[in-house]
Amino acid sequence: MKLMTCPINGQRPISEFFYGGELRPMPDPATADDATWADYIFNQNNVPGLKQEWWCHTPSNTWFIAERHTLTDEIQRTYLYGSQVLEEVSP
Amino acid sequence: MKRLPPISGEWIDRHQPVSFTFEGETIPGYQGDTVSSALWAAGRRVLGRSFKYHRPRGILSLANHDVNTLMQDGPKLNLRADVVPVEPGMDLMAIHTFGGVQGDRATVLDRLSRFLPVGFYYKAFLGKNQFPFWERVIRSITGLGAVDTTTPRLRTPKRYDFCDVLVIGSGVSGLTAAIAAAEAGADVVVVDENARAGGSGHYQRGDDGERSRQTAALVAQVQQHPRIRLYTDTTAAGYYADHWVPLVHRDYIAKMRARAVIVAAGAYEQPAVFRNNDLPGVMLASAAQRLIYRYAVQPMERAVVLTANSDGYRAALDLAAQGVTVVAVVEMRSQPVVTDPVRAVRDRGIQILSQSCLYEARPNPGGDGVASVVVCPLDADDQPQTGFTQTLACDGVVMSVGWAPTANLLYQAGVTMRFDETVQQFVPDRLPAGILACGRVNGVYDWEEKQRDGQRAGLAAAHRLGLVDTAPSLERAIAPECPSHPYPMMAHPKGKNFVDFDEDLHYEDFIHAVQEGFDNIELLKRYTTVGMGPSQGKHSNMNALRILAHLRQLPPDAIGTTTARPMFHPVPMAHLAGRGFMPERRSPLHNRHAQQGAVWMPAGQWQRPAYYHQPGLTRQACIQQEVMAVRTRVGLIDVGTLGKLELRGPDAMAFLERIYTGKFSKMKVGSSRYALMVDESGVVIDDGVVARLAADHVYFTTTTSGSARIYRELSRLITMWQMDCGIVNLTGARAAVNLAGPRSLSLLQPLTNVDLSPEAFPYLAVRQGAIAGIPALLMRVGFVGEWGYELHVPADQGQALWDALITAGKHLGIRPFGVEAQRLLRLEKGHVIVGQDTDGLTTPYDANLGWAVKMDKPFFVGQRSLQILKQRSPKQLLAGFTLPERFQGNPPQECHLVIHKGDIAGRVTSIGYSSSLKRYVGLAYLQPELTAIGTEITIRLTDGSMVTATVAPTPFYDPDNHRQATVSREEAFV
Amino acid sequence: MMRASPVQDCLSSSATRRDINGMSTVWSTPEDLQGDTLGLCDRSCLTRWGVKGAGAAAWLTALGLPVPQHPNQWCALPEDGLIARLGTTEFLIEDGWEGAIAPQLAQQMANLPSKVYPVLRQDLAIALTGCAVPDLLRQTCSVNFQALDLTEQPVILTSMIGVSVVVIPGDRAGRPFYRIWCDGTFGVYLWQTLVTIAQDLGGGPIGAAYLYDLELGR
Repeated sequence: MKLMTCPINGQRPISEFFYGGELRPMPDPATADDATWADYIFNQNNVPGLKQEWWCHTPSNTWFIAERHTLTDEIQRTYLYGSQVLEEVSP
Repeated sequence: MKRLPPISGEWIDRHQPVSFTFEGETIPGYQGDTVSSALWAAGRRVLGRSFKYHRPRGILSLANHDVNTLMQDGPKLNLRADVVPVEPGMDLMAIHTFGGVQGDRATVLDRLSRFLPVGFYYKAFLGKNQFPFWERVIRSITGLGAVDTTTPRLRTPKRYDFCDVLVIGSGVSGLTAAIAAAEAGADVVVVDENARAGGSGHYQRGDDGERSRQTAALVAQVQQHPRIRLYTDTTAAGYYADHWVPLVHRDYIAKMRARAVIVAAGAYEQPAVFRNNDLPGVMLASAAQRLIYRYAVQPMERAVVLTANSDGYRAALDLAAQGVTVVAVVEMRSQPVVTDPVRAVRDRGIQILSQSCLYEARPNPGGDGVASVVVCPLDADDQPQTGFTQTLACDGVVMSVGWAPTANLLYQAGVTMRFDETVQQFVPDRLPAGILACGRVNGVYDWEEKQRDGQRAGLAAAHRLGLVDTAPSLERAIAPECPSHPYPMMAHPKGKNFVDFDEDLHYEDFIHAVQEGFDNIELLKRYTTVGMGPSQGKHSNMNALRILAHLRQLPPDAIGTTTARPMFHPVPMAHLAGRGFMPERRSPLHNRHAQQGAVWMPAGQWQRPAYYHQPGLTRQACIQQEVMAVRTRVGLIDVGTLGKLELRGPDAMAFLERIYTGKFSKMKVGSSRYALMVDESGVVIDDGVVARLAADHVYFTTTTSGSARIYRELSRLITMWQMDCGIVNLTGARAAVNLAGPRSLSLLQPLTNVDLSPEAFPYLAVRQGAIAGIPALLMRVGFVGEWGYELHVPADQGQALWDALITAGKHLGIRPFGVEAQRLLRLEKGHVIVGQDTDGLTTPYDANLGWAVKMDKPFFVGQRSLQILKQRSPKQLLAGFTLPERFQGNPPQECHLVIHKGDIAGRVTSIGYSSSLKRYVGLAYLQPELTAIGTEITIRLTDGSMVTATVAPTPFYDPDNHRQATVSREEAFV
Repeated sequence: MMRASPVQDCLSSSATRRDINGMSTVWSTPEDLQGDTLGLCDRSCLTRWGVKGAGAAAWLTALGLPVPQHPNQWCALPEDGLIARLGTTEFLIEDGWEGAIAPQLAQQMANLPSKVYPVLRQDLAIALTGCAVPDLLRQTCSVNFQALDLTEQPVILTSMIGVSVVVIPGDRAGRPFYRIWCDGTFGVYLWQTLVTIAQDLGGGPIGAAYLYDLELGR
């Protein structure tokens, strides 16, 4: 089965992972109108291409971002989200 | 058909005779024989009956590329006799005959074939009534084997396996590829579905031992190499993402993860299509050679060899060397390349009929074998000149007209193939990284060139793994000879010239299909069912493609191929099931429940006591007793399956306020509060209780089914929002019980150092202390509507806590109660259960939980959506209802619909009998105009009858909620 | 004895038991010799404690404990204990048969500095011993343990028969010696399933005495 590389635990079968949806910016709820908000909630971009996705390595509860091309299912890279990388790896 | 004297390299062990029965007759064989080889050696010719017409069938491929010889041995179904080894005690029958292979009565269908053309069933059963009857008839005539439902389950454990390079196929190209990769330092596994390695080099000898000697030497080198593992009797059944290949052995499946895969799987020999090409005695050349060199069986006595390549001449030499009279070689090519085998056949004086074809085979009087063949010359357009036939007497025909690549796993790996005119087959064109092909599957047939091709593939794999610096060029050399005839098909006015032997499809079926408009390869496949039988097109897909190309006047590349899917050969379900791992979670108190007679119910992965069985009482009676125990004395329930999460850190309260709808920042330390969770769209997804243990330390619960999911999602949100807090999942680390009932205080006080008096420990308060010496968290909660405490302790001390409570409660009449009683108790209080009284669209406003939503916060998940939803009038509202006190008959159940003016106006979500109120009470969603207290509603039962209920306020029991918050002095201090 | 192992009720009644750290523990069974082939031992009785957060490593270092430098690595504690770094910022501290570091750390729970969060650990902790351990792992776990370099003292967080586990591979007396932890509520399922497989491979449950001798090098 497909392999995925957890940034912390390394390469594992995809059965050790949970898909958490596409990384999408949330419109500012304070300023977005109802139509924009509803579009964010109910509509997703299904155009094939390279997407940033949330994935979780469930045995270690490690959340990270995977860049995956949804047409070829090729995972191009995986990395920890944001400044978490800087803060946590240094002992 | 007889056993030959010992042949060098034979697979049978003549010192170990093995006998078995076939259709009641005892058949002698040897260890190493397959069922078909032993039957053929014993002179049996009819080994099976065909699927549709029940025509007699013998050996065709002897390679598991056809199912002429499907048999059943007791409970073992659909054995492929061509490749199944003989075992003592086998008691075999051919499948789906009426009266055995020899006297199959269903052979009448062969004479009715005019009325059973391709796709006849689409046109024959026009009335709906006809088909059920005919379906049963058709199933019994064409059913494959009979299942014995008492067959015991055999567990065949799966296992994982690992290697650097997986080589599929152990012919000379696979063997050289393996050696090249291993020499470069790779850890190599070679798999071959046959009982022994070596491939065609072992049996395509042409009466010359040189190739088999070279093959044997390569096999020995592979067996002795420290970095090569050789798995025979093992099929690579498919290709899955990232070089994941199931290796299927008789006894197990191994899930192999490779880092590179070399497909050296060879090619399927293809049959020629002529009238009666399915008679027993007509077989592929490679089948005849396997009979000789593996099993020392003479395939026939007088042979005609039909050929279009050098392989046919080798087969002729092999037959002649074993005492078979080779009547003639019928050469289809107009200008055959003169190779050594061609010269050798000429030198032997065997007649060669050039530029000719086999027009038909003629059956013997019994109809179960060949008596003669009709040979025609071919004209310049390769058409048979039927005016100039000659008839040759023979009892067998050997066909060597071409090959199709065993490319199934290449297709599954995403390799694009193109049709190569020089070898008249599809060859790999573009290969994904880590996938390689060599040998015949790669279009390479020359003996020396196959080995060079293997070496190239092995080195390329090693290069891919970083073991060698330079990648070899993968150019294929030009083939000296085309191994396959472009169109080995002879039309015949009387038909029975078979293309697909599994499905009994003959040439005109394809013409009819195209006439009917099914002229695309996918439609042709499904209309004719070509390639859909048990051998999945191994001997038929290429010819079908050629026929379609010919009928549409297109090149094969333009026709395309259908999709090859795993598994390559059928895999027993038991192999796929393996041991059947089904994770189960148990509360630390599990054993105590079992000891008390718990009747279990699954709750997700958990097992929970539904109720505790009392001898002589029905389920309902037990549940009602448990309910009454809680209402009048004290009960104890295990709530350890609840999710338990702990949050610490400066942002803990702020985080809590972002994920729940309520406000918590001003909670007093040592208090608890109900918490409601909605998703981004405003739909209720979970609820629980939040306990504030310190300024920046909270402990909160989730529903049983939500715990893992919510912990995971909250971890993501902390990461995404970069909040300064940490979350810990204590679901499995703590045991938890609810001690509930008017006597709960007096039971608990003697056991704990915590002051339980109502002033010191008010309703909804939280305290930490010790109970019976066990460190514990105590919370006063109100779920079941009685005075009670929820107690949380470390899991390893859960049993000790339970024992202490039960012991202390004996004189107070304590009773364990289960999930069913708890659901009734909370229903009497009108409490909502998320997932039961809410569904995937329920908002807090629908479920009367709007009070738990505090909009005056900067942000929480779902807030913006709830702002929108709040403006709208809900389409449904949750309301309580009761049935009359003296209600008789079947009560409504959950999900029964509320009907108003002939339309659906709601549905029941919970219902149960309240012995305290002596009537049924329940919750239902109703159209808002029906929710006024006192409204009569009608609920429709499954059988269509209607029950009248009355909308009532909740809580039904103790409407002012006194009992959970206060307790009389008499009851408290019993 | 107030503590109960998650697999308390799975263990044979013909075994000799001892109270270790307040938990009734199977000390020896008549079949302990099968530990050379494939033994499963319940070592849940040992004391353990967890801590996580960005400040955890510094806090443990300040207390004088050796902290593994890399994620998913372990190092030994005095008296046969171990400290395992789970991922980047979580630690499992487990005492050996004679140690008592974990209970001391647990008592610090009220005084933790910022970004240091306590984790109550109630695992099923087991050990697998014997030459057939790789065969059992090949039936239950997709990680290629043979390809690991044990000198790096790796910790593997993975899934085994559907359950999240922490695995520390190793060897003792020339034979595989694997320590495995999982959530205690999956304990009965994990234990019973592994015992069934072990019995097919010629092994089964063994007592902690076997481990005690093995770990102390006797």
